[in-house]
Amino acid sequence: MGYVSDGFVCLCITRFLKTYFAIGSVIMKKLSLVLSVLLVLGSFAFATGSAEKQDATDQGLSGKLMIYTSMYDDVIEAIDETLEEVFPTVDIEFFYGGTGTLQAKIAAEFTAGKLGCDMLMVADPSYAFELKEMGVLQPIMISNASDLAFDYDKEGYWYPVRISNMVLAYNPEKVNKADIPNSFYDFAYDPRVAGLISMSNPLTSGTALDTISALKDKYGYEYFTALGKQKVKIESGSVALTKLETGECKVIMILEESVLQKREMDKSKIEVIYPTDGTIVIPSPIMSINDQWSPNKNSAAAKAVTEWFLSEEGQKNIVKAWMHSVSSKYPTPPYDAIPTQEILKNTIPVDWQSTLSLRNELRTRFEEAVAKK
Amino acid sequence: MQVLKLRPPLLREGQKWYFDPKWLIIIVIVGFLLIFQVLPLIYLVYRAFFSEGKFSLQAFKRVYTYPLNWSALVNTIVSATFSMIFGVLIAFPLAWLVGRTNLYGKKFFRTLFVVTYMVPPYVGAMAWMRLLNPTVGPMNMALQKLFHLSQAPFNIYSMGGLIWVLTTFYYPYAFITISRAMEKMDPSLEEASRISGANSWTTLRTITLPMMLPSIVAAALLVFIAAGSAYGIPSIIGVPGQIHTVTTRIIDFVYIGSQEGLTDATTLAVFLMLVANIVLYLSTFTLGKRQYITVSGKSTRPNIVDLGRWRLPLTVAVTLFALVVVIIPFVTVALSSITVNLGNSIFSLENITFRYWERIFTRKSILSSARNSLVSAVTAATLGLLVSSMMAYLLVRTDVKGKKIPDFMITVGSGTPSVVIALALIMSMSGKFGINIYNTLTIMIIAYMIKYMMMGMRTVVSALSQISPSLEEASQISGASWLKSMKNVTLPLIAPALVAGWFLIFMPCFYELTMSTLLYSTNTKTLGYELYTYQTYHNQQTASALATAILFIVFGINWLLNKLTGGEFSI
Repeated sequence: MGYVSDGFVCLCITRFLKTYFAIGSVIMKKLSLVLSVLLVLGSFAFATGSAEKQDATDQGLSGKLMIYTSMYDDVIEAIDETLEEVFPTVDIEFFYGGTGTLQAKIAAEFTAGKLGCDMLMVADPSYAFELKEMGVLQPIMISNASDLAFDYDKEGYWYPVRISNMVLAYNPEKVNKADIPNSFYDFAYDPRVAGLISMSNPLTSGTALDTISALKDKYGYEYFTALGKQKVKIESGSVALTKLETGECKVIMILEESVLQKREMDKSKIEVIYPTDGTIVIPSPIMSINDQWSPNKNSAAAKAVTEWFLSEEGQKNIVKAWMHSVSSKYPTPPYDAIPTQEILKNTIPVDWQSTLSLRNELRTRFEEAVAKK
Repeated sequence: MQVLKLRPPLLREGQKWYFDPKWLIIIVIVGFLLIFQVLPLIYLVYRAFFSEGKFSLQAFKRVYTYPLNWSALVNTIVSATFSMIFGVLIAFPLAWLVGRTNLYGKKFFRTLFVVTYMVPPYVGAMAWMRLLNPTVGPMNMALQKLFHLSQAPFNIYSMGGLIWVLTTFYYPYAFITISRAMEKMDPSLEEASRISGANSWTTLRTITLPMMLPSIVAAALLVFIAAGSAYGIPSIIGVPGQIHTVTTRIIDFVYIGSQEGLTDATTLAVFLMLVANIVLYLSTFTLGKRQYITVSGKSTRPNIVDLGRWRLPLTVAVTLFALVVVIIPFVTVALSSITVNLGNSIFSLENITFRYWERIFTRKSILSSARNSLVSAVTAATLGLLVSSMMAYLLVRTDVKGKKIPDFMITVGSGTPSVVIALALIMSMSGKFGINIYNTLTIMIIAYMIKYMMMGMRTVVSALSQISPSLEEASQISGASWLKSMKNVTLPLIAPALVAGWFLIFMPCFYELTMSTLLYSTNTKTLGYELYTYQTYHNQQTASALATAILFIVFGINWLLNKLTGGEFSI
């Protein structure tokens, strides 16, 4: 017997409706029966999927805390373990995704009237402005804010927690540093690497969005067109790094931390190029959701976790996870990186406010420029 | 099995029923599909035209005047059409060689090709982007050296590359459909042809092929819909080469997160649905009526064609095919999972690690996603098989009025692109109409059932139709009750088909990606989504380890079932 039923010819859905109404009220009962059976099954399935709760209460903290983050899973795993030791009584869970992905998710949740997270550690600082305006954030005042070397919200709605740097990277085992672009400008305009470059997608990645915003301010929208002509591949950092390893790409635009991680963990030879026209420095915020919007209404735990991340101990963990510290009290750079102060001497600034207001335009124009064949 | 106990005895004369219980089953199934399939799809179309409360073609204008979307439409149709053509061109001879000839090792080959159905298709994309990338792909390099070419012969990030990967990972849909039909074909016609003096080739051409035509069309359709609505392969192979398809565009639009994005996604989805429905309609309209001709009532064993002197060369050809299409990609993925630096040789000790394997068994998110997938796939397959069995009984053993309605709806459901089903469910099942199951596993299970139930139904139907009702009648005449004869006669005969049907639903649900990408939530990430995220976001070696683990599980289960059913289990 083939795939298709010969009853198909009656494509008109009206016929179902007729049949449906003809049989009438009996159906309604059966339908509700089916529905309830399904819902029971569904909730059973759902219940088996949920995590077990802890109920110890020393430190006065307890309950769950859901954190949405754009950090890579290796980083999360390391930090998650430390957090478990520091806050044994709080059940902290991470949910990861690109910043753009998370933004879409939060937008959908916002429409539905309830967010799924208690805290956010996404990459795009401009998003903090938006969330503050939406009225979903919980102000948290910390005692050591004056130690922060970067801007923070004076009302306590968000603090920078980690520094990510957008840089270039290459593989010295396959190419010579002199034969490839050493600046963001050449990355888009050097014909020697046409078709051999890669960067992240501003649609899903917050740092990529900040990057194209900064590059647009510096070089204009023509920069996007140039990237398109250069046949830049749009993919995540980990994919790009693999392509650098295999030699499929010659130079990539990537977060410094991804390269450092690869160097330390895989003993990789891949090297960072701090672009000669300036590094793009992105201080990623940490934010908490207020009780009206958060699922677990656990602001005490959120405050404690925020304070921990901004403490020397927390920053030490951030640096261990290959990102730069935001605290002037802990200036040690991550493994194999140059000091933060060195990087800050030559940067391309990002206008956060304009990144926020131009977000859709930036994404659309970028996509139009690079997605064309 | 409970499935059949639910079925009441056949209506006999003299007995009085106020309400034929068969209708109840039809109503339940129709009701389920009406609520979760038909109405959401209608709402989707409605939303595309009434995005701001009143009728408007604005969204259509915006979406279809945007050049990128147009090229995505063209790309989708081109890639799906060619994958369909090549897929059938591969599947038919393979099914014939493996099912009807004395090819060496045909049982092994059959398992190998069927197993491809059971692995996530995007795993193929992972392998081929490594093997055939234009700069350093090892297969490209080897060919270049072998034939002294000045540049790499293939570029995987192209339309050709996309079609290649889509074909090699979706042809099993056609292979399964065609070989199933071929194996139950009435051999007497072929015998008659041979007796009348035709040789094997003429018989194949004039008898087998025409008789198989409806199944071939059905198979082609399956490949077309699957390839046209795939997300994983185009996003890994197509997008880096600036080749977007409707599905990648739809998911991009959803990810933009704005209301406008959602409207644009809806509008594009309507197009995809329309194409799928037209194809479904045309193929049924032209060929659907002929499909029952090939089925013989008697249990038959098709005769085996002697390949003669072609036996060895054809076996070599099939081996080569299996090597290129199945073995090499799988081995590539498996090797990636233990390689530290993919740019260096795997044959050096410091470049080998089992860290990624350790990771997949220890990472919390991977474990919980695996559990979610297991729960939802088992539930979907079990409920799906329940529906399939009841439908099979209705279709084959009764002539109750209206039995074609649920059959039709199930067919339409599976013919609807996954991304469309998911989008329709998101929009209609998040509380707007009194049902809010968004962000639960329930919505996944329902989506999986709508999309994959039909593979199970067709398997059970075809098994049941091969069993002559005279056996059941004999049992009942001898005094056995309806239930007893079901249990003792029918059930043992169709048991392998039930197992196979369950698996045909379970496997694609277990690693489903496209629908899960849209339907997942914090607590309901699935294995397919997790694997895809690892491949495209975190770490490709971990993704490879996960994919290889899935492969092992699939092979293992297949082997186990084969043992348990005494070799009768086959898909």
